[in-house]
Amino acid sequence: MDTAEDNICETTISLHNEFGLHARPAGKIAKAAQQFEARIKIGFDGREVDAKSILDILSLAAPNGSALRIQAQGNDARHAVEHLKNIFRENLREDG
Amino acid sequence: MASEVFKGIPVSAGIAIGRTYFLNREAGTSIVRINIVPEQVPQETARLKQGFNAAFEELEVIARKVPRDLKEQAAIIDSHIMILRDEKFQKAACDYVNSRLINAEWALENAVSDIEKAFSRIEDEYIRSRTQDVRLVAGRVRSKLYGQSKSYDTKPERMILLAHDLSPADTIELKLDRIMAFATTTGGKTSHAGIIGRSLQIPAIVGAEGLEEIQDDDVVILDGFSGKLIVDPDAEELTHYTDLKQRFSEYYSQIKRNCYLPAETIDGYQMQVLANIELFEEVTSVIDNGGEGIGLYRTEYSFLNRGNWPSEEELYEEYRDMASIVYPQKVVFRTLDLGADKISPHLGPLEEVNPALGLRAIRFCQQNLGLFKAQLRAILRASTLGNVSVMFPMISGLQELQEVKKIYFDVREEMRKEGLPFNDDVPFGIMVELPSAVFIADVLAREVDFFSIGTNDLIQYSLGIDRTNRYVSYLYQPLHPAILRSIKYVVDAGHEAGIEVNVCGEVAADPYCVPILMGMQLDSLSLNPQAIPGIKRIIRQTTMEECKDLLKQVLSCSHVQQCNRLVREKIFTRFPEELMFYTSLIEES
Repeated sequence: MDTAEDNICETTISLHNEFGLHARPAGKIAKAAQQFEARIKIGFDGREVDAKSILDILSLAAPNGSALRIQAQGNDARHAVEHLKNIFRENLREDG
Repeated sequence: MASEVFKGIPVSAGIAIGRTYFLNREAGTSIVRINIVPEQVPQETARLKQGFNAAFEELEVIARKVPRDLKEQAAIIDSHIMILRDEKFQKAACDYVNSRLINAEWALENAVSDIEKAFSRIEDEYIRSRTQDVRLVAGRVRSKLYGQSKSYDTKPERMILLAHDLSPADTIELKLDRIMAFATTTGGKTSHAGIIGRSLQIPAIVGAEGLEEIQDDDVVILDGFSGKLIVDPDAEELTHYTDLKQRFSEYYSQIKRNCYLPAETIDGYQMQVLANIELFEEVTSVIDNGGEGIGLYRTEYSFLNRGNWPSEEELYEEYRDMASIVYPQKVVFRTLDLGADKISPHLGPLEEVNPALGLRAIRFCQQNLGLFKAQLRAILRASTLGNVSVMFPMISGLQELQEVKKIYFDVREEMRKEGLPFNDDVPFGIMVELPSAVFIADVLAREVDFFSIGTNDLIQYSLGIDRTNRYVSYLYQPLHPAILRSIKYVVDAGHEAGIEVNVCGEVAADPYCVPILMGMQLDSLSLNPQAIPGIKRIIRQTTMEECKDLLKQVLSCSHVQQCNRLVREKIFTRFPEELMFYTSLIEES
């Protein structure tokens, strides 16, 4: 069994974007997720979608203040989760 | 063969004669299902992949060309690229080809429908509206499937562009020096496409249904005065329009040369001619066309077409720049007039049976105080040069006005405490556009520094008609005796109280209406910048005496057709040469 597959990392963040996960932030997240090898999922409200797909992320329709679970599995899982966490924290504000 | 005529709404003046090209013709046509045999699957999936790739390459090129100041458009195009690159989308379409044995177009349509279905569960109106982005992206892919290239790019002669609509991406992509005019099948007077046409100063019409029937490379005449598009014109029409075009260009260069002269009648009555603008960029055309300031800055644009509200700081920068560009001339900021047909996408439409009578303009602002105050602060902060006025839309009564005034004075007080500088004497005005405000104009006049009569809404609310509703739009009559009396009453009430009165509706750009307004001795007119040179010229050729005389005559008419006929006769005999270059709101009878 490939040990990398066991490399699972997970975190929960809360979404701070006045208008929820709409096209622009969803695009930013998908773009960031695509840089990693790991399989990355975003869970919200009992559903789980592929973080590398903007359409999947949009379909979550997560409003402002949602608690989102990010789970990555693969070699760079830890790195991926950290990176996405930062994006959620720093990059999704749109004032300016 | 008789020529065929399509009728639309003229949005940018001028005549063009040339060959047509329909941009993304397939985007609006129905998609056909074709069953294929298993052997054709590789070919169809290859077409799909090529379509996605070609659309991607095209968007990448467009993205690089987006001017830096159009951040909003750039972000939209970026998210379109992301959608296009989403492997799930492409894979879903290819899977349909394979599993259902159908053509690429139909498979793509199925994949889009699936996404729409998934999105329809979403309660959030804003996010749900983003399926529109998926549709737009799919439309771009589809145009690649048909193998249509942007051939107007390579045609040696300039084309008349036809389109369903012109999107922000289209307009960036267009090779504008290849387009002499355009017509769209959708859109209204205020649509984005109209603004493009006017700012490029090429003839344009919008909302001309049925243009799809026109073959590419057909010869057409596009009449930006009347909104007509004539296909396969006969010799007589060609001669007429070639001549008109020539005379218009002579006339136009003549009025442009004289546009900086004051709008003073032969007998020495001077009228201030200001501009209505919607986009910041339009300020250049105000200056180019001899506008003497901005009488109406519609501030909605910065609040629309984006996913969030602008910050006070952002608004302040915009307003400050505007005030300093037009200085020493004035700029009147009309506070946010959202609602009705102007809905912020992230707010989503309210569920109102009657939006025009609903939560809009000042009512919306009073219920969104944070936003309203941020805008007022931004306007006040931009007022330090002393050339800024503030104006409130849709005031219906005294109590409402006093409430708004209180908010305004509270904001000033807060700013004073914070030590933020602003001009203490910013003129405070209101739009008079509701019949209720007309009847109590004498009462309201004591409370404000100026009136601006918004005739577009006043006509609609007084006559009870929606002019975009084609079943009743014939009732939109600016010279209806009720309208004329209303305007006259407001002007007189304002002057009685010693305040200035302006008219800022479309009648102010209508050569048949302006002499009547002049007769009422208005202080200023405010109109779209492109119409300023022509209106100034007409004013310079009249006398106040004849305007007053005309006013007296129309006020004695009890029948609107009588008014219209009288005005058309009088004005047309006065300016037979130039009136053919104008469109009028006054119906020919």
